Amino acid sequence: MRARGREFLPALMFLLPFLLVLAVFFVYAGVRAVYFSFTDYDLFNAPQWVGLANYRALFSDDRFLTALRNSLLFAAIVTTFQTIGALLSASAVNRRVRGMTFFRSAFYMPAVTSSVVITLIFLWLFQRLGGINYLIAAVSRNAPIILTFVIVMVLAQGLQVLVERWRLRRRLRGAGQQRTVSLLDPALLAVALVAAIIVTTALALLGYLAPREVQNVAINWLQTRQEVPASFPFWLRVPLPLAAIMFQNIFTTIPTYMLMFLAAMQDVPRSQYEAAALDGANSVQQFFYVTVPALQPVTFLVVTLGLIGTLQMFDQVAIFGSSVPLQSVITLAYFVYNRMFPGAQLPEVGFASAAAMFLALLTLIIVTLQRTVLRAEGER
Amino acid sequence: MSASAAMRQERERWEAQRRWARAGFAYLLLILFSLLFLGPLLFAALSSVKTDPLGYPPTLLSPQLAPANWAAAAKLGREGAKAPLWGGFAPGANVNVELTYFIPQGTEAAAPTATVPRRRPGGGLGAVQQIDYAADYAVVAPVVEVGRRAGVHGADAQAGEFVTYRVTVTYPGAGPKVDRLPLDVESASRAIEFVSSTLPPTRLERLGLVASFQAVTPGALGYLLGNYRRVFTEARSVTTGDSLFMRWTWNTFVYAFFRVVVTLFIATTAGYALARLRFPGRNLMFLLVLFAQMVPMQVLFISNYLVLRDGIWGLSSLWGQATLLNSLPGLLFVTALNAGPVFIMKQFFESIPREVEESAMMDGASYWSRFSRVVLPMARPALGALIILSFQGAWNDFFWPLVVLTTPEDIKTLPIGLLTFRNVYGNSGDWGLILAGAILSALPVIVLFIVFQRYFMEGVTYGGGKE
Repeated sequence: MRARGREFLPALMFLLPFLLVLAVFFVYAGVRAVYFSFTDYDLFNAPQWVGLANYRALFSDDRFLTALRNSLLFAAIVTTFQTIGALLSASAVNRRVRGMTFFRSAFYMPAVTSSVVITLIFLWLFQRLGGINYLIAAVSRNAPIILTFVIVMVLAQGLQVLVERWRLRRRLRGAGQQRTVSLLDPALLAVALVAAIIVTTALALLGYLAPREVQNVAINWLQTRQEVPASFPFWLRVPLPLAAIMFQNIFTTIPTYMLMFLAAMQDVPRSQYEAAALDGANSVQQFFYVTVPALQPVTFLVVTLGLIGTLQMFDQVAIFGSSVPLQSVITLAYFVYNRMFPGAQLPEVGFASAAAMFLALLTLIIVTLQRTVLRAEGER
Repeated sequence: MSASAAMRQERERWEAQRRWARAGFAYLLLILFSLLFLGPLLFAALSSVKTDPLGYPPTLLSPQLAPANWAAAAKLGREGAKAPLWGGFAPGANVNVELTYFIPQGTEAAAPTATVPRRRPGGGLGAVQQIDYAADYAVVAPVVEVGRRAGVHGADAQAGEFVTYRVTVTYPGAGPKVDRLPLDVESASRAIEFVSSTLPPTRLERLGLVASFQAVTPGALGYLLGNYRRVFTEARSVTTGDSLFMRWTWNTFVYAFFRVVVTLFIATTAGYALARLRFPGRNLMFLLVLFAQMVPMQVLFISNYLVLRDGIWGLSSLWGQATLLNSLPGLLFVTALNAGPVFIMKQFFESIPREVEESAMMDGASYWSRFSRVVLPMARPALGALIILSFQGAWNDFFWPLVVLTTPEDIKTLPIGLLTFRNVYGNSGDWGLILAGAILSALPVIVLFIVFQRYFMEGVTYGGGKE
């Protein structure tokens, strides 16, 4: 039976530090950004009310449209790949084995370092003579060996499964036992793996298998205005440097989201898988009919976090900086910063504010839309 | 009876095989994934000791990682400055470097010429300071032949002789200790090919004619960690001459420390009020906290930048700062707006049963003593996690330092300092220093992560370790 008023003063005292910060750096800042977006403020002259002119100007500004295109493509492609990649890699390692804690830490380690460290490392890997081009060249050079390895492994596995199924059918006839051999039977796969390694090594040693002669790959990932695929319309073309950032971003965010999926997967009751197995579902069907639906809330969270993170991507653009043409990597978030601090020109505060408001609205709309779509999907 | 027992046994064996195989594949996959995700970081760490991390083809190992070279570098360091670890070139030095050349049959043997060039490595941020050049003090003795044996060399097994020459560099008289002794050894003709030397040369120049050593008396650590040493020594403040990287590291520590203090203070007080106290507008307040987490920084930074520029309406002139831009207090003010921790602490305080608090305190105790004597001590685990994670967040913080700390270089933090490195050294392809700087700046959080893994992993599973 505490009176509300009695706690008002203490509450105010407790909240005061936070309230002050919130008032100055959030509420006031938000209101001012809205106000600026309707003015022509440039830091030096008093702001003049210009109505919707800034918003109209956005859509005739080439750089803004490029930034919008880049941001949308970046968000769509990165969110898709990182979610699917995280889900698949989580289900690949979702085993209750000893030492799982160690491996989870190993996966997460790169994510605790700063975006600058990781981005600089990738910037180095994407140099013309860097690791990425070397890796591409190495794979293409060794393609015959890799291909032989895969073919031998698939053949060996197929053959074994056929033999094993035939053998089981003969031996179990009348024994009243139920046993099936799946296409990915682990014991047989181990044998197939060993067979593939032996055969490939033997062929290579005997000289039947050798790396191809391949030109060094020197893709210019960074200093280029090239957009791929070149035949696509403007809104669907990805600039090559942006593709490099996409790759970096997908690669470095997968572990984090993968761990979120993994945590949720370990909570899916085993009985659900057992029930599905009794109904004759193989591992792929189990994945789609048990795992995916059970993970719906996490997927929801991962997609939301992914969309917000990618739509507001800023760090990588700033870090790539002068090593790439600005128009090839500029995003909405960087566009705002760039208009605010345009170097030698006059800052366009009003215009920048309009772009910032647009970014906020876009984020809100896309996240809401995604939540509605995914929720509807979940209820079906 | 025995038939079915045999059958059962066979089935058990069959299933055991599958269990073993499944576990084997699980570990195989786990190891592959770890290598994949850690790959770029590990590769960068290995390459950060190379003189040129862009050398093609890229290799995992480099001469810097060979123990035999450490021994040679230590010996040369001792000869150069009686410093087997970090090397150098000091008065009284007597440095002997042996180089072996291959002289094909029919070619006249001729000794190479050695010079100590007046050269400083890298340009960039260090170019403004005055340094001592080894060239001003070094005396190169005539090159002498010390060994000769017949042999074949090269892919075409050319016959000829391997001749070893000794280059001796001394430092007579008095003078300053110089950090490095560069050396260029030029072969007498193109036909005479460089084979090996006491310490591998930094690079072969002019199509193999010149074996060039960036530092021929590096010392063992100086040889292995040359790039790391450059990170500290090369980039120096224009005004004070201090090592910029040291300043950035110190700044980042200070910033992270105060960020943790501010976050703890605001998150616990506001979190407590939101969780425990009843007051009008509480729900509105809570909505505001949620909303503050979602609005993009780009919306807020325009006004916040201007507010800081004017010193929060002149408030900062009370303590003598006309503007809060380019200062640590400004950075701390603007990053104090961090609703996430408030939300986390609110959740945590709500999980403590109200009765505990009420029974522990006699009636009439002030809210402040309830908060500080009962609730805070119970929140120790949550506070631990908050400290670790906000330290990591501040250490890695990029956006606000980029906006607030622009000039001079001395006031920057590590992440934006590394950006300076990228601008200065990246464009000239000098990646050794950038990678070394990046690895160094990541070390503290990696150590923190290894020690306090639990807190980090809990952060992930609750959704979103990173902001």
